[in-house]
Amino acid sequence: MGFAYLVALLISIFGMAMLDRRFGLFFWRDGWRAFVTLLVGVVFFLIWDIVGIDAGVFFRGETSFMTGVQLAPELPLEEVFFLVLLCWLTMNLLAGSRLVLDARERRRAASAALSTGGDRA
Amino acid sequence: MTYWAINAVFLGLVAVTAGAALLLRWARTRSTRASSTRGDLAPVARAVGLSTAVLLVMTAVFDNVMIGVGLVGYDESRISGAFVGIAPLEDFAYAVAALVLLPSVWTLLGSRRETEAAKAARASRRAGSGSGPGTSAADVEEAR
Repeated sequence: MGFAYLVALLISIFGMAMLDRRFGLFFWRDGWRAFVTLLVGVVFFLIWDIVGIDAGVFFRGETSFMTGVQLAPELPLEEVFFLVLLCWLTMNLLAGSRLVLDARERRRAASAALSTGGDRA
Repeated sequence: MTYWAINAVFLGLVAVTAGAALLLRWARTRSTRASSTRGDLAPVARAVGLSTAVLLVMTAVFDNVMIGVGLVGYDESRISGAFVGIAPLEDFAYAVAALVLLPSVWTLLGSRRETEAAKAARASRRAGSGSGPGTSAADVEEAR
């Protein structure tokens, strides 16, 4: 029984929460809306997983990195946390990249305005 | 059933959700002001492009690690045999689905702020004063 994978996922999810809180990306933008979006995403991907497992496409690896707790045959507990991370990361990325690009645009506009002002002086 | 066949079904559901979200956005834009959001489309596209690039690279890296350490295994007869490193190409469908499904659900849920802003805009239009002050804020929020 190992906790390495679960702990790694929890640390990563904590990182997502900190970025979200600092920049107001997802839960800190609209908590209720984020909760429902995340829930829909996680449930959707879990069903996708279960269909894949049922069809015999993929299966849980035998490793010492996982707790061994299974929610369903071949569906490890860790998968739920992985899907939470995937969904939160995706929404943080979409909102975050918009912030980064907008900030870069503003900086460029500001420096352009500055250099134009310098030419006139 | 192959991995691609399963992916096709779920990606189809994602596409339907995205279609509904686009329809809602279109209707909302039309009910407020059409011209103001057109200019906001390019930054949205750039942000989606950047997010897609980052998420696909991260998927490639971490999926390879996860398969490498043995967290997950695949039935070779049910995957296409196209790989990125040791990760089946099919796995990337999850990342693509997340990038389309989640913002679509987010849009479909709407926000109280947007609904109120749209209501205020409609009310002020009815009053004959053009678009209300809440309109541009709602557009900016929606385009983010």
